Amino acid sequence: MTEAEIYSLLSTEFGDKVVSFQGEEKTPFAVIQHQAIHEIMSFLKRDERLKFDSLMSLSGFDLGGAEQPLGIIYHLYSMSLNHYFAVKVLFEDRENPKLKTINDLFRTADWHEREAYDMYGITFEGHPDFHRILLEDDWEGYPLRKDYVQAEFYRGMKIAKEK
Amino acid sequence: MARLHAEEMVLNMGPQHPSTHGVLRLKLRTDGEIVSHIEPVIGYLHRCFEKHGENIEYPMVTPFTDRCDYLASMNNAHGYAMAVEKLMDIELPERVEYLRIIFAEFQRIASHLVAVGAFGLDVGAITPFLYCFRERESILDLFEMASGARLLYNYVWIGGLAHDIPPGFVEKAYEFLDYFDERIREYDRILTGNKIFIERSADVGVMPAEVAINYGVTGPCLRASGVNHDLRRAQPYSIYDRFEFDTVVGKGEMGTVGDCWDRYNVRVLEMAQSARIIRQALEQLPTEGDVKSAVPKKIRPPKGEIYSRSENPRGELGYYIISDGSSVPFRLKMRSPAFCNLSVINEIGAGWMISDVIAILGSLDIVLGEIDR
Amino acid sequence: MIDAFASWMLQFGALSWLGTTPATILAMSLVAVAIFIFVALNALVLVYVERKVSAFMQVRLGPMRVGPMGTLQTVADALKLLLKEDIIPRFADPILFRVGPWIILLASFVAFAAVPFSPGWVPADMSIGLFYVVSISSVVVIGIVMSGWASNNKWSLYGAMRSAAQIVSYEIPVGLSLLAAVAVVGTLNLQEIIAAQAGVGNLFHWIPIPFPNWYIFHSPFLFLAGCIYLIAATAEVNRTPFDIPESESELVAGFMTEYSGIRWALFFLSEYANAAVVALLTAIVFLGGWQSPFADLAGARFGMISLTVLALIWTIFVKYKVKRLSIYPIGTILALTVIAWLFPAFAIWLATPGLVWIAIKGGVVIFLLMWFRWTFPRLRVDQLMYLSWKVLLPIALINLAGVAVWMWLTGAISLVG
Repeated sequence: MTEAEIYSLLSTEFGDKVVSFQGEEKTPFAVIQHQAIHEIMSFLKRDERLKFDSLMSLSGFDLGGAEQPLGIIYHLYSMSLNHYFAVKVLFEDRENPKLKTINDLFRTADWHEREAYDMYGITFEGHPDFHRILLEDDWEGYPLRKDYVQAEFYRGMKIAKEK
Repeated sequence: MARLHAEEMVLNMGPQHPSTHGVLRLKLRTDGEIVSHIEPVIGYLHRCFEKHGENIEYPMVTPFTDRCDYLASMNNAHGYAMAVEKLMDIELPERVEYLRIIFAEFQRIASHLVAVGAFGLDVGAITPFLYCFRERESILDLFEMASGARLLYNYVWIGGLAHDIPPGFVEKAYEFLDYFDERIREYDRILTGNKIFIERSADVGVMPAEVAINYGVTGPCLRASGVNHDLRRAQPYSIYDRFEFDTVVGKGEMGTVGDCWDRYNVRVLEMAQSARIIRQALEQLPTEGDVKSAVPKKIRPPKGEIYSRSENPRGELGYYIISDGSSVPFRLKMRSPAFCNLSVINEIGAGWMISDVIAILGSLDIVLGEIDR
Repeated sequence: MIDAFASWMLQFGALSWLGTTPATILAMSLVAVAIFIFVALNALVLVYVERKVSAFMQVRLGPMRVGPMGTLQTVADALKLLLKEDIIPRFADPILFRVGPWIILLASFVAFAAVPFSPGWVPADMSIGLFYVVSISSVVVIGIVMSGWASNNKWSLYGAMRSAAQIVSYEIPVGLSLLAAVAVVGTLNLQEIIAAQAGVGNLFHWIPIPFPNWYIFHSPFLFLAGCIYLIAATAEVNRTPFDIPESESELVAGFMTEYSGIRWALFFLSEYANAAVVALLTAIVFLGGWQSPFADLAGARFGMISLTVLALIWTIFVKYKVKRLSIYPIGTILALTVIAWLFPAFAIWLATPGLVWIAIKGGVVIFLLMWFRWTFPRLRVDQLMYLSWKVLLPIALINLAGVAVWMWLTGAISLVG
C-alpha cells in the first residue's frame, strides 16, 4: 500500500484523531493526536491490510521556540508487506509533554523512548524501566531541545564550553 | 537437608572488560554461573553526534558519521550521503554509484571479519582473530590507496567521492578477491566446523524471528533468525538491483535457527556474497566519469524531512533529517542498528551462563561508538 | 641420588670435615637450588617458545627486538615484573593474598623431587613416586582458591571456584589413566616404570612392526589411556581448551585478576612448571622416559631412516594439502640420519638412554599443549564437567578393565594360580 492509501484507511478508521497528512514530503507522514498514539499504533500493527511488524525508528524533535512544539516521529515498516508509514505526534505543552508508551507493541520503542526522554524530556507513561539512557541520571536539562542551556558544572566538574 | 541461604549476586561486567567490545557495562544478576538478568548500561561513549549535527553544515557531518561506527565508516558515510542526496534530488554519475558499492561491500567484508574474529576470541579461540585481521589489513590497504586513511576515511561525500580511485586499484582489488575466496575456507577449517566451537555456539542464545522483529533487530542477526530481509534486496537503494547475490539466511544447521552459530555463519557466508557483488561491480565499473561532477557547491537542502535507510554490516542504518532550508541540519537522527541489536540481550541472554552471555554478546556484533553516538 | 652426591662431596679433602648428615643436607639443598633454577629457566624458555609458537601459528613473527630473534624478551619481561610496584588491593585479605601464589609455586616445585631425569638422576627415588607427583601437584588448587578468595573480587572468586571444581574432577581421569600403566608394570616407582619400557618389540604385542616398548605402544588400551591422560592433564594445568579458571575473555584473568608484579610472575612460573611436570609425567609413564627409541646401532640407523621416510610422506602431504612448505623439519631429520650413517658413534649415542630423550619427549608434549592452546576455543564450565564425569571417567574405567583383559590375553597375568 502507498502512504496515501494507508492515510485514508486511518482517517476512515479514526476520524478526528488523525489530524493531517503530508504526502509531498520525501518520507510522507501523518500527524495524529498524541492521546491516540497507542490505539493507532496498535491498529497499524494488528490490521491485516497493514501488518506493520517493525518500528524502524522513533525520534524526538524540537521545532524550536515557545509556540513551536516538541514532537515524536515513528517510522514504521512492514517486513511481510514491504511498505512504510510514518506517524508524527506534536506537543503544544513544552513543560510537561506526556505520551503513552508503545513498548508493549514494539520492543524497539523501549530504548528509543528512553532516548527521546533523555534528549527531549518527553515522558512515556507505562514504560517499565523509565530513566535516562545515554546521559547520567542526574544530568540537568534535555540537550537536544533548542532552548537547552548547558550547565556550567556537572558534579563539580567543569563542562567545556564550545567556542 | 535444610536449604542453604542463597542470594543472587550482582556482577558488573565492564565498562572495563576484555569482551564487552568497547565501553559497555552489563549489570548481571547471577546465581552461581547462571545469569538471571542482564541490564546493559550504555552511554560511556556518548559524543553528542546529534547535537553536533545540528551545529555544523551538512558536508561537515560526514567525518562524524565515520566515527559513529568506526568499523563500517564507508557504509555510514554512504547512508548519510544518500539521505542528503535524496533530500536535494541529486543525480549521481554511474561511476560514483559503482565505486560506492565497491567500497561499501569491501567495508562489509572488513566489518564482518572483525565480527567473526572477535566472536572466535570471545569463545576462546585466539588464532582465527589474527587470521581475520590479516585479511582486513589488505582491505584497509585498498582503502588507504583510495582515501589515504585506514579507519576513518571521509571518502564518501554528498554528491560524489573525495577522490577518484588511483591507477592500479582495480587490479589490486581483483587480486584481493582471488586470495580471499581461499581464506574463507580457512575459517571454516579452523572455526566453523570445530567441535568445541559448535558446542559453545550452537543452540546458545536462540533468537526467534518474532523476537528479532519486535526488538528491531536487523542485519545478519535478523537473517540468522530465519527472516529473509536484506534492505539491499527488499528496498534496493543505490544500484543494488543490478547485482546478483543471495541473501544468506540462518538455517540452524548445527542447532536451532537463530542461535549464535547461525549468527556467526551468516556473517561468514555474507562475506562471500559481498565478494561476489564486488566482482560484478568491478566488471561493470564505467571507465569514464568525474566522481566530483555532482558535488554541489553549496549544500542547502530544501525545506522538508526524510528518513533514509541503508544496510550497514550490523543492520539497518537510518538517518532522519529535518531540513529548514539552511545549510545546517535542523534535526539529524541516526537510527543505529547496534543500538536495537543490543537491546535484545536480556531477552535472549537471560538464563544462560556467564560464558554464554559473552558468546551471545559477541555474536550480536555491537560497536559501542554507534550505540552511544 | 642425594646419598651418592653427598658421598661424592665427602671424597674431597676440603669437604671431608663434614659429617655424613650435614653433607646429606648440603647435597639436598644444592639439588633443591638446582631444581629451582631449572624451574625458573624452564619458565623463561617456555614463555619464549610459547610466544614464538603462537606467533608462527598466527602468521606473525612474535618477539623480535630484544636480543637475537627476541630471545631475551622473556628476561626483560621477568625483570620488569620483578621491578613493578607491589600492589595489594585495600580490601584484599593481606595474608592469604601474599601466601596464595607461593603455595601454588611450592606445589608445582616440589613435584620435581620425584621426577627421574636420566638413569640414576632422580632427586628422591621413592617407591611411591607416581602417587607423590600426582597428589602433590593437586595441592595447587589450595593456592588458587586462596588467592581467588583473598583478592576480594567477584571475578577472582569465580575463577577460583571454577578451578577448584575442575582440578578436583580431573584428578579422577588422571588417576585412572595412570593406573592403567601401573597395572601393567606393577610398581609406583618412576625409575622402575621407565626401566620396564626398555628395548624394542612388536607394536601392540602382536603386530610385527618393531616399535619401542613404550607403554603407549604396549596395547590399544594403554594408547587410549595415554590420550585420556593428556586430555585430563591439560585440564589439570588449566590450559586451553580447559582454561576456564582464568579464561581471559570471560573472567578477565580469573584468580589472577588482582595480582601484579612479582606475585603474578610466580603464577607464571608455576603455570609453566606445572606444564613441565605434566609433560615429563606423560613422557615417563607412556613414552618411556629417558629410554632411547632405538635398541642398538643398527636399530638407530634404521629407525632414523624410517623417520626420514615418514617425514618425507608428511612433507609431501602438507605440500599437496596446504600448498605451503617448510623444509626445516625434514632437513633436520635428514641431516641426523646422514650423520648417524656416517658416524657410528653418533648412532650409538642415539641408542643410549639419557637426559636428551626425556627432554625431547617432554618437549613434544609441551608443543602439543601449545598447539591445543592456540587452535581450540574454550569449553564452557558445564561442558567441562560433562567431559570429565560422563566421557573421560567411564572410558577410563572400561579402559582399565580392558588393560587387564589384554594382559590376560598376552599371558602377562593368568587367572589361575
